[in-house]
Amino acid sequence: MFEVPGLGDLNVAATLPVTSLVLGTCILLIVDLFVPTDRKHITAWLAALGIGVLLVLALLALGEITEFGDGEEAFSGMFVADAFTDMINVIALITALLGVMVAYNYLERTGIQRGEYYVLLLFATAGVMFMGAAGDLVVVFVALELLSIPLYILSGFRRPQEASEESALKYFLLGAFASGFLVYGIALIYGATGTTNLHDIWQAAGDIVAGHKSGRFLLLGGAGLALVGLGFKVAAVPFHMWTPDVYQGAPTPVVAYMSVAAKAGGFAAMARVLASGLSNFALDPGEAAVWQDTVWLLAILTMLLGNVVAIVQTDLKRLLAYSSIAHAGYILIAVAAAGTAAVADEAVQSVAIYLMAYALTNVGAFAVIVAVERDDATNTGLDSMRGLANARPWLAAAMALFMFSLTGIPLTAGFVGKWFVFKAALAADLIPAAVVGVVTSLVSAFYYLRIVWLMYFEESEVEVSTPWPLAWAIGVASVGTLLLGMLPYILTDMVREITLAFGG
Amino acid sequence: MEITVEAIVFLVFSAITLGGALQVVLTRNLFHAALYLMLSLFGVAGLFVLLTAPFLAGAQVVIYIGAITILIIFAIMLTPQVTRVLKVHHTQWPVALALAALLFVGLVWTQTPLADELGADGWSADFTVEDPADVPADSLTDLGKSLVDPERYMLPFEAASLLLMAALIGAVLLVNRPDDNPDAEAAPAAGARPDQSG
Repeated sequence: MFEVPGLGDLNVAATLPVTSLVLGTCILLIVDLFVPTDRKHITAWLAALGIGVLLVLALLALGEITEFGDGEEAFSGMFVADAFTDMINVIALITALLGVMVAYNYLERTGIQRGEYYVLLLFATAGVMFMGAAGDLVVVFVALELLSIPLYILSGFRRPQEASEESALKYFLLGAFASGFLVYGIALIYGATGTTNLHDIWQAAGDIVAGHKSGRFLLLGGAGLALVGLGFKVAAVPFHMWTPDVYQGAPTPVVAYMSVAAKAGGFAAMARVLASGLSNFALDPGEAAVWQDTVWLLAILTMLLGNVVAIVQTDLKRLLAYSSIAHAGYILIAVAAAGTAAVADEAVQSVAIYLMAYALTNVGAFAVIVAVERDDATNTGLDSMRGLANARPWLAAAMALFMFSLTGIPLTAGFVGKWFVFKAALAADLIPAAVVGVVTSLVSAFYYLRIVWLMYFEESEVEVSTPWPLAWAIGVASVGTLLLGMLPYILTDMVREITLAFGG
Repeated sequence: MEITVEAIVFLVFSAITLGGALQVVLTRNLFHAALYLMLSLFGVAGLFVLLTAPFLAGAQVVIYIGAITILIIFAIMLTPQVTRVLKVHHTQWPVALALAALLFVGLVWTQTPLADELGADGWSADFTVEDPADVPADSLTDLGKSLVDPERYMLPFEAASLLLMAALIGAVLLVNRPDDNPDAEAAPAAGARPDQSG
């Protein structure tokens, strides 16, 4: 019969943040049954409370004030609890907390206030956290689905509404297609290396490269297909087709959460698979990783298309969709830089910094759209921003701050993110990608600052509703954006310990 | 070059798989397409038998043929208008064909050197590198154990069960008709915004 290993051997304690989230979510699902339909705010409160407690735990772990479990491996290498895991946990939980706050009143006034919303949001958050902690390709895949499926459902949450249904279906079909690519890639990687464990893959890849074995072509195919699958999730060009339609059709609070969660999860998985498992996979020993060129080419395409197409958009949600494509491009530069062994740590740290900055800024920007959106999901055009500064000076100031941060203007979090990404790119000798990055940032100023112009220099009637949870979410996001921008060492301290490359 | 029995069986099952798959794409009757899909999946099950993986073959039959295709057929029968698609709407098939061919050539190109390395040569290749007798008889037990073994696949297994629960909740949410739900009906109160504070 079985030898049942003790909890200590498995180091279950190391998985505490995510396992308690999962348990809490299951309990919430049951508790929600007993919450009357007209008092669903209780479910929202419980969800927010749980996320808050876990966020404190995750911050303690990140600050190395407490350690859960001993060592970095849990479940025999399936789960990795290192500094990167802690950082992704913090990003995921902050996003989830803001996501609940942004959603609460919106769901109330559009009549879709249901407990399942919060449960699904928490499941997706667990998916992001598993992805950041994945030590095995099987976990990467399951976690990616755990993130994606709740997001498909949430996109269709305003179901009788056609736009919402359409976005859910589009997201589901293309997402399922992308998962197929990822599984195919995982199968080929397994075929080449004989294992799905990332550390073992790293070792096997080292042997294959050193011995010039033909398995490297198979590994190349696997890595390529996995990159396609993950590229879909983070909306990298040319796999970005779903993004504008889904972002425009899905309920705005869902988009606020999804735009960050899907990116954090996708890039966490990309960092684990490429920068960790396949970090030493070069066609000739000693060269930069073989996927580096592909990734920076993707980055350039993504930045160009996202920023240029965003210029002509007239709908705010669609505009931010293209903007989120563009930001995927900036993060891809950092991922590409991780292909050069000497700057791998710096590059992965800049990925984490960028994700953190992007999380606060982007949720904030979408929260402002939630504030101006009408109950029938209209009034999300650029016009809705016209004259906002006169009517609601603080809201306009927050929106302006988010736009500055997305552009990457100094003293905002977005600037810090871009700074470290470009620094890593220059260190890895990816000059073309860095140049395109800087130029497209200038281009992006055009459409971001046009929103600021509309708010401050044009006059119009505005109708805005900012109930307190939404106002607090916008407040927290803007304070965070400003604080991280003015005191960048907070971010650099957070990521200082992150290293994904296997040594020895 | 010697053609073994395995090679012939392999060719037959491959022909069934590929022919069925081709018909799925080519036929204009959606119902026929579902039946051809069944045939194609049956061919895959045969290939699994050839690889001495009887459990996978059984799972293929029970899950894919028994459950998924039947579900597709149900879906087709419940929506009668889709069975009579007389006009082919897709116009981009040459592009798709080119891409698929490219992927095929690429995969063959990457795998041929690997096959050479493993010592497989053309028709007389050992389709079962190990003697079937060497394959442990209780591989199914191993599979089951490794799924719930905390040192192996328990974590992804549990995560997958969460995933199924999320999907279940979603299915209930999405098929639940709005008229069954009094809240949703009272919902779109466009225009009136009591909580307007700006």
